[in-house]
Amino acid sequence: MFDFYLPIAEMSVNLLVILGMGGAVGFLSGMFGVGGGFLMTPLLIFSGIPPAVAVATEANQIVASSVSGALAQWRRGNVDIKMGTILLLGGMAGAVIGVQFVKILREMGQVDLIISLSYVTFLGIIGSLMLIESLRAIRRARAGNPIPARRPGQHNWIHGLPFKMRFKRSKLYISAIPPLIIGIFVGLLAAIMGVGGGFIMVPAMIYLLRVPTSVVVGTSLFQIIFVTAMVTILHSATNQTVDVLLALVLMIGGVIGAQFGARAGQKLKGEQLRALLALMVLGVSLRLAFDLVVQPDELFSIGPVFRGEQ
Amino acid sequence: MSARRTLTTLKAIALIWTALTGSPALAASAVELIESDISSRNIAIESNFTGERIVIFGTIKNAKHAEFQNSPYDIVVAIRGPEGPVVTRRKARVAGIWINRDSHTFANVPGYYAVLSTRDLKTIASPAVLTTNKIGFQSLDFIPFGMQDNSALDAGINTFRAAAIRIKQKDGLYLYDPKGVKFVGQNLFRATVDLPANVPVGAYATDVYLLRDGKVLSRNRSNLTINKQGFERFVFSAAFDYPLLYGIIAVIIAVTAGLLASALSRRD
Repeated sequence: MFDFYLPIAEMSVNLLVILGMGGAVGFLSGMFGVGGGFLMTPLLIFSGIPPAVAVATEANQIVASSVSGALAQWRRGNVDIKMGTILLLGGMAGAVIGVQFVKILREMGQVDLIISLSYVTFLGIIGSLMLIESLRAIRRARAGNPIPARRPGQHNWIHGLPFKMRFKRSKLYISAIPPLIIGIFVGLLAAIMGVGGGFIMVPAMIYLLRVPTSVVVGTSLFQIIFVTAMVTILHSATNQTVDVLLALVLMIGGVIGAQFGARAGQKLKGEQLRALLALMVLGVSLRLAFDLVVQPDELFSIGPVFRGEQ
Repeated sequence: MSARRTLTTLKAIALIWTALTGSPALAASAVELIESDISSRNIAIESNFTGERIVIFGTIKNAKHAEFQNSPYDIVVAIRGPEGPVVTRRKARVAGIWINRDSHTFANVPGYYAVLSTRDLKTIASPAVLTTNKIGFQSLDFIPFGMQDNSALDAGINTFRAAAIRIKQKDGLYLYDPKGVKFVGQNLFRATVDLPANVPVGAYATDVYLLRDGKVLSRNRSNLTINKQGFERFVFSAAFDYPLLYGIIAVIIAVTAGLLASALSRRD
């Protein structure tokens, strides 16, 4: 009854299932304050959406969620436009390379593999790190020790690089090269994995660039809006894999879910929340790894021929 | 009584006489013909499309049941969707993970192919007859890219061809039903096919064959068109005809949705 046909994915899906998926991931992203792309894209792939369509469509959805997120941060003055712009320049270059990479991989028949491998690698690493960190925090909290605060003004190798710029909002005077490289990397991930890349950008800004925590989220969201917008347009122009209908349903579910998630998140403790998220991230990573390692029932697959078309 | 009416009456008398005596007097030259049609010649894929049931029906004209009592008529229905190249890939284990390794590209692969018959194709006609009339999976003439015909197919490529057919069957896009054509009475027949939701769009040809004693007596073709309609068509053609504009609009929709969401959450 609630089945509807997706024009680009070319399959019939249940409206309530897709709305529910958008809502569930929206709830989690509202609760944990994360983008949710790294959960949504694998979910879409598990439910039978072609991986290339899942990636491009999810990028489109992230535009919506990052706009509302960035706006909230902007009102509080938590966006470093200059830093964001440098990250964005890198992100755009990364997106262009990433979309071309996806096109070549599709022609070679290896796009599904690379998407899965990227997810297994990144979710595995991030999930493990988060789990270790949150377990330590929980143990520390139980022992009653306060979490040691970072001292500002610490110098690392980043400060030896040329092309130094002043970032007033972040109170930093550092080289433009590291944010540019972080941006490129995040742009690549956005194009290949259909994620905003906040899970890489936020820790990189905090630990490598020493950007104040208050500015980190707003600035990364600012970058994510434009990079995912560019990824959406490029994927559409190059691979025709953006399904607007699917994206719209995910957006609606996501918005509703995020509202409830944000409220639920305020009632839970930070460390436990992070441990929970870490377990979920590891779960998705293991599930994808399992599919890669176990011998599939059907070794053969068929696909359309891209080269020589049109 | 008009002249036409007189003629019709005469024809009817002749037919009845022929039927009664069993010897074709007036209808001596009349060979058996098959006449058929499809329940819908145009299928629209709209947002509520979850597949569609079609019925192919028809009748045997000038049937001579009495004359050939020991060799019954057979009917085969073949529905062929739009053709295109398809690449078949095989996974192999590389460094512990399963990766697409070998591949073969085939030309002229029908996106949809259904064969329905009154009984097993093997008992209806010889492989040669089936092949020349392009009936059955074995006679599908999709050939490896760059080759002229099927003659040079080795066992290796045949595995890939068989795999492509197997996967298409699993997806519901290839179908063989040896009991799919049913006679309703002596000359009237019908066959029901459920087209799945993932059915490819384009021009379809539905061929109905009448056979007896392993020979094709008559063939009738009806055309079927499957197209995306309404909003689905609009979105699909926009994505492929104006991909850049489509992407920009997708972003505008997303930004609007984000702004709306932000306005809503602020009101709380």
